[in-house]
Amino acid sequence: MAVALEVSGVGKDFLIPVIDSVSFAVEAGDFVCLLGPNGCGKTTLLRIVGGLEAPSRGAVTLGGEPVVGTGRHTRKVGVVFQEDRLLPWRTLRENVELVQKPLGADAATRRRTADRYLRLAGLGGFEDYYPAHVSGGMRQRTAIARALAIEPDLLLMDEPFGALDAQNRRIMQNEVRRIWRETGRTILFVTHAIEEAVAIGTTLIMLSARPARIRTLVRNDGRVERAKLIDDLNTMIMEEVERQQSGGAPGS
Amino acid sequence: MTGRWAARLHLPTLAVAAVVVAGWFLLSWRYGAFILPSPLAVLHGLVEIVRSGEVWKHTGASLARIAVGFGGAVLVAVGMGLVAFLSRTARVVVDDLLAVLNSTSVFVWIVLSIIWFGLSSWAPIFTTFMITLPVVASNLVEGVQSVARRLLEMGDVYRLSGREKFRAIVVPSIVPYLVAGMKVGFGLALKVSVMAEIFGVTTGIGYVMNYSREILATQMVFVWALVMILVMMATDKLVFDTVTRRLTRWR
Repeated sequence: MAVALEVSGVGKDFLIPVIDSVSFAVEAGDFVCLLGPNGCGKTTLLRIVGGLEAPSRGAVTLGGEPVVGTGRHTRKVGVVFQEDRLLPWRTLRENVELVQKPLGADAATRRRTADRYLRLAGLGGFEDYYPAHVSGGMRQRTAIARALAIEPDLLLMDEPFGALDAQNRRIMQNEVRRIWRETGRTILFVTHAIEEAVAIGTTLIMLSARPARIRTLVRNDGRVERAKLIDDLNTMIMEEVERQQSGGAPGS
Repeated sequence: MTGRWAARLHLPTLAVAAVVVAGWFLLSWRYGAFILPSPLAVLHGLVEIVRSGEVWKHTGASLARIAVGFGGAVLVAVGMGLVAFLSRTARVVVDDLLAVLNSTSVFVWIVLSIIWFGLSSWAPIFTTFMITLPVVASNLVEGVQSVARRLLEMGDVYRLSGREKFRAIVVPSIVPYLVAGMKVGFGLALKVSVMAEIFGVTTGIGYVMNYSREILATQMVFVWALVMILVMMATDKLVFDTVTRRLTRWR
């Protein structure tokens, strides 16, 4: 079941403040794209939402349940990292089976589920291949199948197509969009490519230069024309990139 | 097809070997059997010890000592690797300890083992243990450091249990390092234990080589050296290469 996500007043300091304060709410089944200049704290925010890192301030709730730094909440969160993070010594199927173990499914169910999501990701017939023997795009799709196989309440994706070439990137965007329609998961998708975000997201959140705040939040529901949206967002991101290079947001 | 057979037989190597054997013939003829026995005498000696069964007796004795000394070293090395994995402090201690052991000469352990264990099988066993331990353990500790934090984090994301992470992520990362360490360690074990067998035991390849020298049977020194080389190459090809191939099917 997809659940709603609420981020309230989340901030993070490493040596300097990286995220100032970010609040937003996402409805169950939304496809949210998180945009912003490089190094503005998008990945950090995603890691906080996923419970991989504790926030310095603020709170994250998933379906009303708090996410704490250790990730020990009962909600299921699937993560697709920038790299595939598959176990190279396990076949694609075994990789997808492995993450279902903590859910208590028996071996036959794990295998069925693994095969179903591998097929959904367009990997039917490659179940017994090792990661080193398939292409980068196929590995990344396996990572997506793995994240889906736990039937996550929330799916986090951190620039999952960053390592792919333009053509594969386009194919993967369509795949993810299709999988989202078919599974109805809540997705939080980090990217710095505006065209990508406009092409696949239902809600777009643009973060400011470091320390990050929300620069703008728009619904990508067709009320604003796509070309204009892309133009506006491009203008904004250029401003933020400049601001970040000149050393921080004004008034902070 | 012929090309593949040529590669498999290492034809150029065989050509070089033929030249070496021919040179050996000439030199043995010039210097005489005591200094340099002829290849034929060595071949004859080899046939003789295989026929009399002596080859099994001494090779078996050496291998049994290696099994105890080297086997013990592998067990202790695995323990050290585990400790290094569980605690950063322990890893530093293990690292420093291995640096000291790595810098200690074989001769130190041979002399000490004779003092401590007298003239018994325990001398070569102890020497083998002390020399191979740092080799296997250093490899394991390196393997422990190579376990990808990114994969462990993936395990955390999907809430794999500690046992599952150990089984699925840690062990497969480390095993290739263990096998590589064991391969080098076994070669060292054979060389070192044979050296330690010169003193105080009455079986083993080292003993029989030294004995052959004393009774002026130089060709038997060559024969036993040949046996050692064959044992070494056979274990490398049959055991370690097979295991490595099996373990790296996924590459």
